[in-house]
Amino acid sequence: MRNIRRNPDIIWREEEEAREEAVKAMERGDDASGEGTALLVESGMMHQLNLLGGEIWKLLDGIDEEALVDRLAEVFDVDRETLSRDVRDFLIDIDRRGWLVHE
Amino acid sequence: MSRIPFSPITINWTLTFRCNFNCRHCYSRPEKAPELPTEQVKEIMAKVAKYKVPFINYGGGEPLLRSDLFELTGYAAALGFNVSMNTNGFLMTEEKAALAKESGFKTVGVSIDSTRPEAHDDFRNTKGSHNKAVSAAKFLKDKGVRLTISSVICRINYTEFEDLVRQARDLGAEQISLHNYKCAGMGFTNRDELDLSPAEWKEFYLKAIALREKVTDIRISMDDPITATIHKAPEQAIVKGSTCGKLSLNIRANGDVTPCGFIPVVIGNLLTDDLKDLWDNSKVLEKMRNKKPKEKCLTCKHYEDCLGGCTARAYATTGDFNSPDPHCWVAK
Repeated sequence: MRNIRRNPDIIWREEEEAREEAVKAMERGDDASGEGTALLVESGMMHQLNLLGGEIWKLLDGIDEEALVDRLAEVFDVDRETLSRDVRDFLIDIDRRGWLVHE
Repeated sequence: MSRIPFSPITINWTLTFRCNFNCRHCYSRPEKAPELPTEQVKEIMAKVAKYKVPFINYGGGEPLLRSDLFELTGYAAALGFNVSMNTNGFLMTEEKAALAKESGFKTVGVSIDSTRPEAHDDFRNTKGSHNKAVSAAKFLKDKGVRLTISSVICRINYTEFEDLVRQARDLGAEQISLHNYKCAGMGFTNRDELDLSPAEWKEFYLKAIALREKVTDIRISMDDPITATIHKAPEQAIVKGSTCGKLSLNIRANGDVTPCGFIPVVIGNLLTDDLKDLWDNSKVLEKMRNKKPKEKCLTCKHYEDCLGGCTARAYATTGDFNSPDPHCWVAK
């Protein structure tokens, strides 16, 4: 399985305060999927990622998909199948945007 | 995004108000402020870096007039900033282009307002400035610096913007920024002569947005909140309305902080104030982030998308952040 990295041309930043809020909301069982916890700037356009997207993004420093799901399973209390599917969908989306580098 | 980012994404930084040009639209010509020495600029850079601001863009004044420009840029780049600048290009040489690359500039924007040299030179009040700007763009490209072209849209060029895009593409620019005319400084003084009517702005934006959607080999940037009245962005914007005070702040030559370069309201000074404290607690920023509709905006169906348009223009012409943008074409 190939390792995946963030496209180094993309400038990004974790939104620490928003992330803290999203984690608290998740722990309360609230829906935090609308909270942007990471900002990305690519070709002059600004994008935001929600908590799951932001956590995936941070881990994309040369990791394969299986290991990525393992790491996320430590944070997200969700069944493995659902998590794997969500991770796969997210990776397909950002790969299509040119935000990934495959090693 | 439902919330404002925890600190600015971009700091627009006027390192100097000095300029070798006397442009007819210049927002900063009437501005006077002492210039900070190198070490104090670095001190502020370090303070700003603490809050993980990703971008610094030098405006001006002409940045190349600072003899420590490349030293400051090297320092900023080492702190992790993505540094860019806007220059009129007149002082750019092959050697300086090499220094721009070496010191860590991520991009450099060169101002070119017309494809007709005489029109550009007249607008910039400097003979030969078009040729120099074109040479600057070439020097930068030759040295591997990513190039953008900046054009201030106004009476002299609004029907010729397609030529501007073509020129920028021919120069190898990755992006052309079609800046909206600001009624600040000399831009306010020369407004009657240079600014467009609301109907002309609408005509320009409709055509420019159509071109932007067609063109794939160069990015066309138009950062004007009133375009929300005629165009829905493909993805939801991070913030609505003006981005100044929500995504960006401006630092003046003496370290004073203003919401944007076109709004001369000082909210603090980074020699003594903390960036995060200003960002979180400034009453001025709070007002800009929570505008209240006035006059024709009260009943306008576009208000929730444009939030009254450009706050700087509203403030420059009425002294009130909440007034409708004077460029707005939407009827009462």
